Amino acid sequence: MNCDDLADVFELYALGVLEAEERGEIEAHLGRGCAACTPRLRRAAALNAAILAVVPDTAPPRGLRRRVVSLVGSGRSAWGWTFASGSVAAALLIALLWFSVRDRELESQLARERANLTRVQQAFAFLNEPETKQVIFGKGEPRGNVFVNPRTGVLLIASNLPPLPVGKTYELWVIPKGGAPKPAGLFQSDREGTAIYIQSGALDLAATGAVAVTVEPDAGSAQPTTTPIIVAPVAGF
Amino acid sequence: MGAVILSLLFPLLAIALRIAGDGDLARRLKSRDQSAMGEMYDRYGRLAFSLIVRIVRNEGIAEDLVQETFLRVWNRSASFDEEKGALAPWVLAVARNRAIDYVRSLEARQTRNSMELDKLERPGVCAVVDDAFLQVDRVRLLKTAFDKLPPNQRMVLELAYFEGMSQPEMAERMKQPLGTVKTWVRTALRSLREEIGEAVPA
Ligand SMILES: [Zn+2]
Repeated sequence: MNCDDLADVFELYALGVLEAEERGEIEAHLGRGCAACTPRLRRAAALNAAILAVVPDTAPPRGLRRRVVSLVGSGRSAWGWTFASGSVAAALLIALLWFSVRDRELESQLARERANLTRVQQAFAFLNEPETKQVIFGKGEPRGNVFVNPRTGVLLIASNLPPLPVGKTYELWVIPKGGAPKPAGLFQSDREGTAIYIQSGALDLAATGAVAVTVEPDAGSAQPTTTPIIVAPVAGF
Repeated sequence: MGAVILSLLFPLLAIALRIAGDGDLARRLKSRDQSAMGEMYDRYGRLAFSLIVRIVRNEGIAEDLVQETFLRVWNRSASFDEEKGALAPWVLAVARNRAIDYVRSLEARQTRNSMELDKLERPGVCAVVDDAFLQVDRVRLLKTAFDKLPPNQRMVLELAYFEGMSQPEMAERMKQPLGTVKTWVRTALRSLREEIGEAVPA
């Protein structure tokens, strides 16, 4: 492609939405220091910023400034932003389950905490559903709770999960009464062997015999290939 | 979708205009001056929050993402060249990318672009723009031009800017041939470039 063709998609390039092939071509071209294209890329970045700036105005809450500033303050508290965005209960649950990352870089910690918070909030929503039923499993290890709901699926909260070998993942199974296990999603645990996982979707409680977890290759399996580490019988619902 | 574009508002421009003096602010960010973080928030916090809310449509999540955005800019400010650019485009790009990354992870869509977004957040790519680029009259022209675009052209830009879709993804979403989508994108961008082209010194 010539300069004009390339420059026609500089905005998409700067947005990170260009397909690999075109992106590679642009990078190679810019890498050669094309004098005509450098200012065009600058214009593309300007147009992008202008378009992004013209969105409906939404006032942030008052406390947000303080929380942003305290991210870099000397006396910053890791709790400030944790409490900021969820209920106190959700924050406490995170603290119990996940808060072991103090030593990591705060930035990646923030992203992870937010992901965790999202998961915890989803778990709360699941638990608040009136039809949700609880199944406790594991007197030894691992242990935890499985919650089942005919409309919303399966929620697993587990601790003491065995560490995963490299290239392995946990796989959840829904086992029908008298039937073969059905794959119900892949999940990971944190460093402490704790996991919260929701498999969304309708679930026929009457026809379900158990919910189980096995260790499987990264891509998951169609049928369990190892002995389950968790089996939670779903009975009497 | 078109209605969203039609409802674009101006108030943020007033904020975007306050970018004079970013050079000094950038120098203080680099020297880890904590007050610079507050000042950067005062200038761009509302803009970043509005943009993120527009993308994730959840103010609680947007609060978290604004914090991530500003921390990211703070942590990477050493690579910012205040001689060459303004902070606003960089902050906007980081905010957009955080928000799109979040939406993708929620939808369990492939996060194949995460690395790529990370790279494109280098201030060298995002902030090579003069302070003057967000002049209010220019952006008014841009908005007018945006509103004049045919609905399909507005739609593809919406999908690229606020949903982070590639052209093949747009084609799938809109159930249109890829070639058609590409034509819409290029035509739309050309129209908008013509409107603000002169506002941006090469
Ligand atoms: Zn060129």
